[in-house]
Amino acid sequence: MRLPEFIYHEPENLQEATNLISEFNGRYGIIAGGTDLMVKMKQRLQNSQYLISLDRIPALKTIKEKADNIIIGSMNTLDDIVNSEIIKEKLPCLKQAAWEVGSPLLRSVATIGGNICLNTRCRFYNQSYFWRSSRETCCKAGGHVCHVTNQEDACYSTFVADTVPALIAYDASIKLVGVDKTRKLSLADFYTGDGRMPNQILKGSNEILTEIEIPIPKDDIRSVYHKFRVRESIDFPLVGVAVMMKGIEEKHCQDARVVFTGVGSAPVEAKLAREKIIGQQLTPDLILEVATMAVSELHPVKTDLMSPNYKRGIAQVLVEKALRDVGGVNNGKDD
Amino acid sequence: MEKTINLTVNGETRSIAVDVNQTLLEVLREDLGLTGTKKGCNQGECGACTVLMDGKPVSSCLVLAVKADGKTVMTIEGVAKDGSLHPIQETFNQKGAIQCGFCTPGMILTTKNLLDKNPNPSLGEIKEAISGNICRCTGYVQIIEAITSLAKEKNARGGV
Ligand SMILES: Cc1cc2nc3c(=O)[nH]c(=O)nc-3n(C[C@H](O)[C@H](O)[C@H](O)COP(=O)(O)OP(=O)(O)OC[C@H]3O[C@@H](n4cnc5c(N)ncnc54)[C@H](O)[C@@H]3O)c2cc1C
Ligand code: SF4
Ligand code: FES
Ligand code: FES
Repeated sequence: MRLPEFIYHEPENLQEATNLISEFNGRYGIIAGGTDLMVKMKQRLQNSQYLISLDRIPALKTIKEKADNIIIGSMNTLDDIVNSEIIKEKLPCLKQAAWEVGSPLLRSVATIGGNICLNTRCRFYNQSYFWRSSRETCCKAGGHVCHVTNQEDACYSTFVADTVPALIAYDASIKLVGVDKTRKLSLADFYTGDGRMPNQILKGSNEILTEIEIPIPKDDIRSVYHKFRVRESIDFPLVGVAVMMKGIEEKHCQDARVVFTGVGSAPVEAKLAREKIIGQQLTPDLILEVATMAVSELHPVKTDLMSPNYKRGIAQVLVEKALRDVGGVNNGKDD
Repeated sequence: MEKTINLTVNGETRSIAVDVNQTLLEVLREDLGLTGTKKGCNQGECGACTVLMDGKPVSSCLVLAVKADGKTVMTIEGVAKDGSLHPIQETFNQKGAIQCGFCTPGMILTTKNLLDKNPNPSLGEIKEAISGNICRCTGYVQIIEAITSLAKEKNARGGV
């Protein structure tokens, strides 16, 4: 399948880029690495009259430390993230999550901005035009039915980006730049939870994601990302979870974050689990309790080949393992 | 819409007018006649279309040709020198790491990139490096054997 026709622009600075998006309102696509967009265009899931490439805007490619924050330009590739000394040292969970995306062939061009803006996925949606033409067009592709739930005008396609749970666990915020406005918002607030328009840019805000700002974690923070997928070599997560804990050396945990991908139309933070853990000493019993509580906050829908129950089972195992790993608690078994 | 791009392919500087909706894979195969680069899935899953762009392995079916403007590209045709196969190609042959051959160009380029960066990869590093190159035939065992023996030979030669 070849790409449809489009007109291609390569703005050389942000001003030029935002001028173009406001001029082409609703008729353009933004291309970063293109690893997701190219496939969607080949599948005729996106037909943009104009493509605006962010390749030639050097300001989007830096990674720097500023005051107590690390600022990552949206056009850094996942390889850049994995190989960055600052990220290796200060944000190991992000490094690990970026490394889990796809395969080396993708990470060499796929960007962190593209990962954050990644559209939600579904087995009835991410298919060729030919495959999809055997059924009525579903809600996300512009129709009115949902082949997963049989509901009308609702879509439960799943958010599957790998780096986002780690970024939310680190309390990341993002900068969105439009033609005459710039705003900063917490990354968690970027997501809408609506499978049709899962983030504010896809909802049509006419903005470019320019940078990600992450407060440098204090020394007493530990974190890990665990991902489960069908093929180890190259696959989207069926479930992914980032777990961060603060002050665990002090015996009593001062703060904790448990953030999932793959289980809803947005990243999901297990808030009850967080409350449960704070102030407690991490024991095998508490780990079991917290994991069970975290999983009770998940409501996956069958948008891939795994049943919701199976996903919850996997999520339970991943959270338990992640809590043991960050808390240094042994369960007496090899796993 | 057409655009002229300048790129270096296998050491040769080229200036080509491409349609902006052509992928690098299409330009290599159809405009430059470099059909050693294969089209498998055409959607980033199989690695048959792997080329090295500015020294990094990429799936050329996902890269717009216009994005290769100003870049250096190496395809499988650029690996052999003066009519003789590269040691990686020789070793793949000898070790039976090639069956139908469809994944081979991509596999060789990924291997070249790995060994150029890391002459002494562990088994885990080898598996990770070729994780985006899918082979239907060999079961990977011979491919991994070939790469392991190349690393050993390279070390024995002092890294060249
Ligand atoms: C075979 C295969 C396997 C994959 N496996 C994984 C996986 O395991 N985990 C995972 O998370 N992803 C996976 N992906 C998806 C994708 O490769 C990654 O999410 C990647 O990080 C996307 O980045 P990109 O730069 O290529 O995005 P693009 O394709 O360029 O863009 C993706 C979307 O984001 C928008 N966008 C990008 N950058 C910006 C910006 N700065 N401002 C505004 N909008 C922007 C684009 O308009 C588009 O809608 C896989 C893809 C393939 C083909
Ligand atoms: S969840 Fe339903 S509406 Fe959404 S993409 Fe899947 S089939 Fe379409
Ligand atoms: S043809 Fe490009 S990855 Fe399969
Ligand atoms: S040798 Fe046939 S696909 Fe690898």
